[in-house]
Amino acid sequence: MSNQEEPSLSGLPAATAPVIDRLKSRIGVDGPSVTATVEAGHLKRFAEAIGDRNPRWASEVPPTFLVALAPSSVHVAEAEEYGKGWLNGGNRFEYVAPVTVGDQITATGRIANVYEKPGSTGALLFIIFETDYVNQRGELVARLRGTMIRR
Amino acid sequence: MNVKVGDELPELVKHPTTRQLVQYAGAQGDFYEIHYDQEYAHSVALPGVILHGLLKAAFLGQLVTDWLGDRGTLKTFEVSYRGVDMPGHPYRCRGRVARVEGDDVELEVWGEDETGKRTTVGTATVQMRD
Repeated sequence: MSNQEEPSLSGLPAATAPVIDRLKSRIGVDGPSVTATVEAGHLKRFAEAIGDRNPRWASEVPPTFLVALAPSSVHVAEAEEYGKGWLNGGNRFEYVAPVTVGDQITATGRIANVYEKPGSTGALLFIIFETDYVNQRGELVARLRGTMIRR
Repeated sequence: MNVKVGDELPELVKHPTTRQLVQYAGAQGDFYEIHYDQEYAHSVALPGVILHGLLKAAFLGQLVTDWLGDRGTLKTFEVSYRGVDMPGHPYRCRGRVARVEGDDVELEVWGEDETGKRTTVGTATVQMRD
């Protein structure tokens, strides 16, 4: 199923186009990459914040740490024209290679899908995004897929 | 490998506080006001400040890594948020072995509020070492 809209004459929908069309025009387009180094201090603060005292997190990253290291490069602020609040619908992590202190990770994200669905208190806008995480050796270490909802 | 379908993971009970939400907001870099500003949370029709979905995911991640230890590697971890949870209430993380195929094990995991409602449900797949 293709979610691509017919392009407008200018190639991209005008700024006045409904926000859903503008978001759909970005499906599959990489956002700017974000690079960050896994620092011991940040890892420690993250493990403390989630209340996980496992000593292995002094050098390895816990399962959800990558979202803290490099926040999604997908800018979806314009979606705030729709509804009044954000909800996180879900997250899926795929782990390909270990990530440890000192690794330099580059995150590249994109919108994978955008659709509207009726909800119990009105329509909801679903934005599915995906982010790839690559280390300093160019190896893919993890992928994240997430569902952000405007309500 | 001593893992069978139906095995339960040792339960993990968390006691999140608003202080922890602020701590997590800083550690993750997610400063959305619904996680620490009561008035703002009410203005977007929430009952009060709520836990970050990803904090609940981190709790369930700990459930899995505590159980797994160094016996294997986490391959995928997926969570869906079905309901909101508020600080000041215990959050019970539970799970069971759903499938075993050779070294590949699938776990069903979930987080319950104090009424027993599963507000977060998920799946983890792990590869056990030989």
